[in-house]
Amino acid sequence: MKKVKTLILRTAGTNCDYETQSAFELCGAVADRVHINTLIEKKNKIFEYDILVFPGGFSYGDDIASGKILSNEIKNKLGDEIKKYALSGRPIVGICNGFQVLVKIGLLPDPKFFKQIFTLSCNDSDKFECRWVYLKVEKKVRRESNCIWTKNLPDVISLPVAHGEGKFVSGNEKFLDNLNKNSQIVFRYSLKDGSEPEYPLVPNGSIGHVAGICNKKGNIFGLMPHPERYVFTLQHPAREGFNDRYGWGKVIFQNAVDFVI
Amino acid sequence: MKYTTKCETIKILNLSNEQLLELSKKNLLSLSLEEMKVVRNYFKKLKRNPTDIEMETIAQTWSEHCKHKTLTGLIEYTEEENGKKTRRIYNNLLKETIFKASIELNKTWCLSIFKDNAGIIEFDSKNGVAFKVETHNHPSALEPYGGSATGIGGVIRDILGVGLGAKPLANTDVFCLGDPNMEASKIPKGVHHPKRIMKGVVSGVRDYGNKMGIPTVNGTTYFDDGYIVNPLVYCGTMGIIPKNKINKKVEFGDLILVVGGRTGRDGIHGATFSSIQLDKKSAVSAVQIGNPIIEKKVLDAMLKARDLNLYRAVTDCGAGGLSSAVGELGKKIGAVVYLDKVPLKYDGLRPWEIWISEAQERMVFTVSPKNIEKIIEVFEKEDVEAVCIGKFTNDKKLTLTYDGNVVANMDMKFLHNGIPKPTKRAFYKVSEEKIQKPIEMDSSEISSSLASLLADLNICSKEWIIRQYDHEVQGQTVVKPLQGNNIEISGPGDAAVIFPYTVIKGTKKGIVLSNGLNPQYGKINSYKMAASAIEEALRNAVAVGADVRRISILDNFCFGNPNDPEILGSLVRATKACYDVSKAFEVPFISGKDSLHNEYFINGKRYSIPSVLLISAMGVIENVENTVTMPFKKNGNKIFVLGITRNELGGSVFSKISNMKGGAVPNVFPSESKDIMKKIYSAISENLIEACHDCSEGGIAVAVSEMAFSANKGVKIDIDAVNIYSHLECESEGGIRIMTPAEILFSESNGRFIVEIKPNNEEKFKKILGGAVFSEIGYVSDDKEVIFESKRSNVKIQQNSEFLLNSWHNTINL
Amino acid sequence: MFEIEVLTKEGFKNSRGEHVLSDIYGLGIEDITNVEYSTLYVVEGDISFGEIETIASELLTDKVAESYLIRRRDAEGNSEVISKFSDTKETGRLNHNFSVIEVWYKKGVTDTVSESVIKAVKDLGIAKKIKVKTGHKYHLYGKILQKTLLNTVAKKLLANTLIQKYKIH
Repeated sequence: MKKVKTLILRTAGTNCDYETQSAFELCGAVADRVHINTLIEKKNKIFEYDILVFPGGFSYGDDIASGKILSNEIKNKLGDEIKKYALSGRPIVGICNGFQVLVKIGLLPDPKFFKQIFTLSCNDSDKFECRWVYLKVEKKVRRESNCIWTKNLPDVISLPVAHGEGKFVSGNEKFLDNLNKNSQIVFRYSLKDGSEPEYPLVPNGSIGHVAGICNKKGNIFGLMPHPERYVFTLQHPAREGFNDRYGWGKVIFQNAVDFVI
Repeated sequence: MKYTTKCETIKILNLSNEQLLELSKKNLLSLSLEEMKVVRNYFKKLKRNPTDIEMETIAQTWSEHCKHKTLTGLIEYTEEENGKKTRRIYNNLLKETIFKASIELNKTWCLSIFKDNAGIIEFDSKNGVAFKVETHNHPSALEPYGGSATGIGGVIRDILGVGLGAKPLANTDVFCLGDPNMEASKIPKGVHHPKRIMKGVVSGVRDYGNKMGIPTVNGTTYFDDGYIVNPLVYCGTMGIIPKNKINKKVEFGDLILVVGGRTGRDGIHGATFSSIQLDKKSAVSAVQIGNPIIEKKVLDAMLKARDLNLYRAVTDCGAGGLSSAVGELGKKIGAVVYLDKVPLKYDGLRPWEIWISEAQERMVFTVSPKNIEKIIEVFEKEDVEAVCIGKFTNDKKLTLTYDGNVVANMDMKFLHNGIPKPTKRAFYKVSEEKIQKPIEMDSSEISSSLASLLADLNICSKEWIIRQYDHEVQGQTVVKPLQGNNIEISGPGDAAVIFPYTVIKGTKKGIVLSNGLNPQYGKINSYKMAASAIEEALRNAVAVGADVRRISILDNFCFGNPNDPEILGSLVRATKACYDVSKAFEVPFISGKDSLHNEYFINGKRYSIPSVLLISAMGVIENVENTVTMPFKKNGNKIFVLGITRNELGGSVFSKISNMKGGAVPNVFPSESKDIMKKIYSAISENLIEACHDCSEGGIAVAVSEMAFSANKGVKIDIDAVNIYSHLECESEGGIRIMTPAEILFSESNGRFIVEIKPNNEEKFKKILGGAVFSEIGYVSDDKEVIFESKRSNVKIQQNSEFLLNSWHNTINL
Repeated sequence: MFEIEVLTKEGFKNSRGEHVLSDIYGLGIEDITNVEYSTLYVVEGDISFGEIETIASELLTDKVAESYLIRRRDAEGNSEVISKFSDTKETGRLNHNFSVIEVWYKKGVTDTVSESVIKAVKDLGIAKKIKVKTGHKYHLYGKILQKTLLNTVAKKLLANTLIQKYKIH
């Protein structure tokens, strides 16, 4: 059987690359942690991979704003390749800092448009927050969304978040309406029973409680929570999971690997 | 010898004693008269005056920070108990107490102790785990954010610089601070408000730790007015290292490579500054700002270089900067450094400033010439600056040049062994501890005391701090600092467990981290403070599933001025306890550090901080699945208390909030406790324990309440069923009396755990406990009411679990 | 020498400003009714107005939630605004009473953000050698704010005078 190859892009300040690598390996993929300098030197290397990951961390210290310097670098040095890769339909995920990068490059919500129309700004609490939250996949989204990453999940799952700038906002309500209409908001913060949450279960004050979105085609997915930190039941505060051994985060990576196969 | 204009000669050959002292003071050398005399005599023999850079090198090499002069010096100790005086001479306090215990215990799983930047114990057949805790107190008082950030940055570099470099897996932090809600008018002039200090130090650890991608998983914050002016900031890091990367080697001809941050004027005199008392004029340049991303780049690239075997030794640039790092690596063979090659942040640094600057994020590597190009390439590929600045020689000398001119030339032997050993006097008077008058309280008084205890700064939730730290990055924190049965509510965990599955593929093992400290006990009894700190750290680790036979500990002393015989006396007493308790539990010390001179002046009056011994524990757990958390799990399960409750309220949180006079400080009974700890481990390994919680500050009442409210459950406890010990009472006040309910509930006796057991496991559990002291005291209930009842004393305390949770939860929110 | 001020757009939450305001109340000061925070960057070097505008709009400002102002600064610290508000809503602010506290690092103190900005400017394709300094600016709103009160806020909250200097205007 074909080995699915995953590229985990790292740079100064990336720090969730090892656990993300482990998560993909657990799902049967090969996962390489590749430094951005290597990729800039050999731009076409990216097309050797089936899946592209922008992992969590503090790229370049999140100086100026979270993910800003890395998205500026990617846009200016790898823009064409990344866009081409995204439009090819291959799975791309951005987790936490990676989500901030996807939004700031403009791969989300629409790689064809390739412009930033949303942002992830400072949490309402003005604090970094590390905690577990509930995430809801709405029925309509479950039915209509093309997102390849969030299949096979129950209505509500829990994942940990850890960020200081995760408040999803838009300068224009129309953009948000479009996301809703196209079923692109795949994860919203919620209570355990799926109902409307308050702080701290919405850890950042996101509009519409948005925690994760995908593009219309469904191959590009960005989210603030960390699925790579919940691949084993052991990692859950109460040691729950989808079976005795694995956590719900694993399903997300498995979905992408299975999609490629 | 020719000198550049940038390098001055310091004329000391003909100075009088007073002039020598004045010179030491003026140049912030922190050298004593004895030491200055030895320096003068050395240069007399060389028939020349030293250069400024030579004086600075000696000063920092001989600093308290680098040499631990007090703990390794001569001490004449007198102890007075019941009017009787005994004397003892210590030639080297550390070697005769803490270190001695470890040598005598001789554990084969201790791989490297007291010789490298951190202690290392065995993790599995191929790997070791390293642990180190440091303090960064004075800089944090002046610039809380920068101080604590560089504190955590520095201890992370200790882990990067142990052996050939360990990969950091977790951080710990412990702060001792003033009350953040204190009225501003009560703060001495020129001192930051405790709230500002607290916010600053938390943000510093948060930003540095989070950006390094290392989870901060364990710690505590201790509040006392004695820390308003001189706060304490402890930072620790644990890392994992292959066993075949533990030894460093330095050979003649090896090159010296400096890697990472550039050198600037920041942090000049940090090493000597740490042994100067705090005052308003404290050296401004001692304050530094860290850059975690540079350090993260160094970490990423150096692990690559390590695994390619591209260097022979590495160490961090900490206190004393290059001087300390190169001096340490080359002390047996000699080294030459070309100071003009050191990359600088800006021009204008004098040679001595380059040499002793404590600019952050720098590491020094020893590289064989054949690997130099390869290793520089590895670093440069990831945008890390790496520059060769000198080489190791075989002349046993330290030679420094600048622009081709020799600016320093000294014998390594003088530099590292020339320091004279001063004799210090120490005195300790053991004060008598009397049991307090019986504490008679009615039900409602006990109830409100319980709520006050939960809200007390030293017991209340530290969630405001903990959630700002990314305690889950790396995905390996399987027992978390805040523990709950769901994600909405959580209580205070006893210890954290790291499951290093991303580094050691296929492993089942884990690493437990915990801590113990109690300065309040130290105000009454230094021995018991130290003994209790060790026991608390061990209990905390055992409560989550550690095997006491595989735990190692670190000591970190923060005391006042050791030239004060009484302060040094209490330090000696504490180290004595360390020896006794380490031996009795067979738990070895593997590393440690001391920060002395924590004192300050207000209106000319001298104050010392309340002395602290922080004990940090690290243990290896065979199977991470066999770990437990502290919230109660299921209604109807039985609750046991293990260990004996004694009338020990001296120094307790209860005694503080109730202004109680007297009381005995909790003692340690290692044989009882060790037996219980082993049995808890067996029971957890057989899956017989549902929840387990250490019983310490606030006693049984607080421990049980925490287990209940963190589970959103109720509990019913029979106070009369608790095993109490009445022998102490016989000796005191001339009569036997039974402990009152308040005393039973709030006593802080060591050696106790609260444990939850399923009814059908009871028999097996009791069999494991055998002859240990334990009693069944109640059960988990479904009505969310926390009830403590004594029919004997006609007392019934009843509080809603949610109310108790809120009492505990809402104190700190800055 | 250019100075770029990055401000939160109207309608977006200024969390940092709100946090500072609550800390000001914590000091027992009630004369200040609102705080807005913005970031300052001083860019020195042989660069054109076009280039500085690119740096401001593409790099330093979040297009969705922030706007910017560019000032030309001379060595004495005098400055004049030379850009348009990139979001015209911002001009509304100027009609209110407010005082400003600026906080800058003292010379020799490591400014980590400045190093990142220099790297990012290179990535933008601007190859000229530049120097960057970063600072913080707080707009404090209130009726008449006494200088002593502003000094207290600056010293106790916004600047650590050991490593930072502040300016009130």
